Amino acid sequence: METRKKLLEIKNLKQYFNVGKPNEVRAVDGISFDIYEGETLGLVGESGCGKSTTGRTIIRLYDATDGEVLYDGVNVHGKKSKEELKAFNHKMQMIFQDPYASLNPRMKVSDVIAEGIDIHGLAKTKEDRMNKVYELLETVGLNKEHANRYPHEFSGGQRQRIGIARALAVDPDFIIADEPISALDVSIQAQVVNLMKKLQKEKGLTYLFIAHDLSMVKYISDRIGVMYFGKVVELAPADELYNNPKHPYTQSLLSAIPLPDPISERSRKRKTYDPKMHNYQADETVQLREVSPGHFVLCSEKEFEQYKK
Amino acid sequence: MSKILEVNNLNISFHTFAGEVKAIRGANFHLNKGETLAIVGESGSGKSVTTKAIMRLLPETNSEIKEGEILFDGKDLTKLSDKQMQSIRGKEISMIFQDPMTSLNPTMTVGKQIMEPIIKHQNMSKSAAKQRAIELLKLVGIPMAEERFKQYPHQFSGGMRQRVVIAIALACNPKVLIADEPTTALDVTIQAQILELMKDLQKKIDTSIIFITHDLGVVANVADRVAVMYGGKIIEIGTVDEIFYNPQHPYTWGLISSMPDLDTAEDELYAIPGSPPDLLNPPKGDAFAPRNEYAMKIDLEQEPPMFKVSDTHYAATWLLHPDAPKVEPPAAVMKRKEMYPGYNNK
Repeated sequence: METRKKLLEIKNLKQYFNVGKPNEVRAVDGISFDIYEGETLGLVGESGCGKSTTGRTIIRLYDATDGEVLYDGVNVHGKKSKEELKAFNHKMQMIFQDPYASLNPRMKVSDVIAEGIDIHGLAKTKEDRMNKVYELLETVGLNKEHANRYPHEFSGGQRQRIGIARALAVDPDFIIADEPISALDVSIQAQVVNLMKKLQKEKGLTYLFIAHDLSMVKYISDRIGVMYFGKVVELAPADELYNNPKHPYTQSLLSAIPLPDPISERSRKRKTYDPKMHNYQADETVQLREVSPGHFVLCSEKEFEQYKK
Repeated sequence: MSKILEVNNLNISFHTFAGEVKAIRGANFHLNKGETLAIVGESGSGKSVTTKAIMRLLPETNSEIKEGEILFDGKDLTKLSDKQMQSIRGKEISMIFQDPMTSLNPTMTVGKQIMEPIIKHQNMSKSAAKQRAIELLKLVGIPMAEERFKQYPHQFSGGMRQRVVIAIALACNPKVLIADEPTTALDVTIQAQILELMKDLQKKIDTSIIFITHDLGVVANVADRVAVMYGGKIIEIGTVDEIFYNPQHPYTWGLISSMPDLDTAEDELYAIPGSPPDLLNPPKGDAFAPRNEYAMKIDLEQEPPMFKVSDTHYAATWLLHPDAPKVEPPAAVMKRKEMYPGYNNK
């Protein structure tokens, strides 16, 4: 674990909206985790828990209220010149949830994909530019002829492939995928997930995979973070999290996933989670603690002793 | 078991600028009293169109029921007048829609919306209807029902709104409840609550449910029987155990294999290749044949009839023909067959 290089370090990141007003929202409330090079970190939680906000703050779509995001040791946030920003955007890209809303309907697919290439001046001639587009289309399983069409001519799965091609256009190292498959049909989901896995292998990409479909997250991720009300409550290797969940919220979340297996469904017992059950006292510090190597749980000192057993 | 609803040889087309889209091409199924029938399939397979036809909610301007009948209580719903249908819709057969954010009227209090069907169908006085509405809110598990009665949909969370929608659907104790992806827009924890609520209510008011979804986990949780739709047809139908542990149609195999369960560890997920059929020009043979790695020559030429697997289990694939070669289903399906050896006699 220690020998692996940390690509991204997130330190006490906070993202508040409407700061100082009565309707202040603490969407992300002091979270810290690392993402190692070449891995897929899954981030799960129910809607409104702050998982998308986390992704968007990391890539600087929002200015963080507090805390640091270090990419390769360099802070992402804070004042930056245009040049510095460009260099940073080159390395980090995003795939969005809704393939129907994230592609400009008035641009041809070739221009959608080449936008990044143009901005970063990655192609010297027009021919070079188109060749890059064709290559990208092929990488994601579409073909040359698709370059001159408009987004409305494609199905959801194909559009998501275009979104992936756009993200790959600038040759990034790190991709944030914000619920990339939620809007797709089951059979198409598998196609897109396979594509993402293949690309990761070929290009050595690092993913932050945000989703609420837990079985798919388990399948694609090396490690998984569970978020609840703006905080990471548990972070562990994927198998460990599923086989040995410690935090009661993780347990309740896992017990709610319906499995495609009628026999086990008939005997399902769902656990419920009530944050009051922790009964934290004012003098207790509640923080992420490592209960076993690589397995972190948000807990107090007292709970920590229990979880370690 | 008596049949409460029967759909026979249903054919529905939409007239578009591009031509006639044959959305439903001969669907046959029935719903037994007190059971939950799940209809699964990808978008465009005709699940929603079928149920909208049962509710007679298809737009009259461009859709047409070409053939077939929908029998409910001995009446053919396709032949009823609008007026007759109005006395059935919302009373005998009611519907829960997918998106609770858009299926409620944002300008009416939820109480009024629940009272609407009660006043219309049951000739209750306003005050009696109000009592009933509050009762229903309590029944679907909304706390402080008296206060919530006066609130507007935007004051409710997604899960709570779906509970309100369910309360409206159940207001007149319908004999048939159609739930069109009722949990797709919700979080897993909320989804689990809604599914539990629906099962619980089904027992209490003794209704039969048609449950449309594409989530096989949800199907395993709620269904007694499952119908798999593809290209406007039911291609396999059986009890939930038969479909999950002894599926016969290659499309069902594909669906089951493409969903990872929590211990899938293979390097690559099985993905059904290609995309759904174009129903403007439906293929000549089996609609699934172009995507089917097990397709035989006859699949491209002739549509397979429904072959009987057991008394409750039917599938439309030529693989079940006595002359067909024996094929080995994908690994994920074989694993399931082993999990439940009772169906392994085939």
